[in-house]
Amino acid sequence: MTTGVLMYCFNTPEVNYHLLAEQCVAQIQKHLKLEITIVTNIKTFKKFKPLGMINYKLVDNVTSNRRSYRGKNIAWYNFERVMAYEHSPYDTTILMDCDYFVFTDNLLTYTNTKYDFLLHNKVHDLTGEDMIEGKNESTIPIVWATVTIFRKTEFAKQVFDLIKHIQRHYEHYRNLYRIKYRNYRNDFAFAIALHQLNGFTSHKNFIPTPMAMLSHEVDAIDVAETGITFKYGKKVGRIELQDVHIMDKEFVNV
Amino acid sequence: MDIGTLKNYSDLAYDLAQTKKNALEKMRSRQIVAYNGRLFRADVQTINVVQTYKAHSKKFYMLDTNDNPCHITDPDEFLRILIERNQETLNTYHQLHEDLKNKRLK
Repeated sequence: MTTGVLMYCFNTPEVNYHLLAEQCVAQIQKHLKLEITIVTNIKTFKKFKPLGMINYKLVDNVTSNRRSYRGKNIAWYNFERVMAYEHSPYDTTILMDCDYFVFTDNLLTYTNTKYDFLLHNKVHDLTGEDMIEGKNESTIPIVWATVTIFRKTEFAKQVFDLIKHIQRHYEHYRNLYRIKYRNYRNDFAFAIALHQLNGFTSHKNFIPTPMAMLSHEVDAIDVAETGITFKYGKKVGRIELQDVHIMDKEFVNV
Repeated sequence: MDIGTLKNYSDLAYDLAQTKKNALEKMRSRQIVAYNGRLFRADVQTINVVQTYKAHSKKFYMLDTNDNPCHITDPDEFLRILIERNQETLNTYHQLHEDLKNKRLK
């Protein structure tokens, strides 16, 4: 049985995602000690510094999606994630965003279970300001596709196949579930797929603790090997040895 | 004491409360353990339930964090894992708590 991490990383005109991925890989190598596969395009691949034993899978990615980020409308290449089941060479996969930083081996716990599909359905805003989850964003509770642990089982395949269908007809599903955001978001596509596959009732199996997160209004001012220092407004906070999803994409350029 | 100093104390108290909240979340994240393919929280409730069941039977069923049943066939081993992880996380939290206490006294 093999276990590994799968990441998707495509640079956009505004964000050097490969720099985020390089830091993310270093943390995975230190704390999870798992094999890593990065799905990327040739342009981004050429930017990577040598990272040791990494598997690369090169694809031509869709470049039509956009997102709102700090008052700007920027490119967001997130369509390829639906192919994770096919792209993953592992029996058990930790599918992870390259802006998720591990500072513990906590995720290994979830690779050692009977669950074939696990992800977060709650977040913990480290600033205490509750800036992440909006109100009335859709008629379906959101799940977070940032970290998804799946095994190669029939159920996981069904989930990904349904997500592909939802992505193709996203405008319909967006209207059906009254999703506020017009752009394609994997979080909602995953939520819809799990809802529908569970007979149009709430999916029950989640990672039991919320995902620690810093919203994109928060500046990450120092990302070290053991923790992160962040600034929001006039306040400065620090976390140590705690996994975190950082939405600030600019700290890597400093 | 002037209002500026009081405001500074209030700001500091807020920061300490948030640091404590984050540390508790970190502790709870660390308390999740996998056992026999299921997920359990190594908190006092789980420890107490295992201890109670163990006093009555050598094998029993328990619900995990997602309400799925798990057959506990070696309660002693399970309890050892739970207590070990619980104390590891509480020890870390205790150290942070001491640091915060010193900050408050300054």
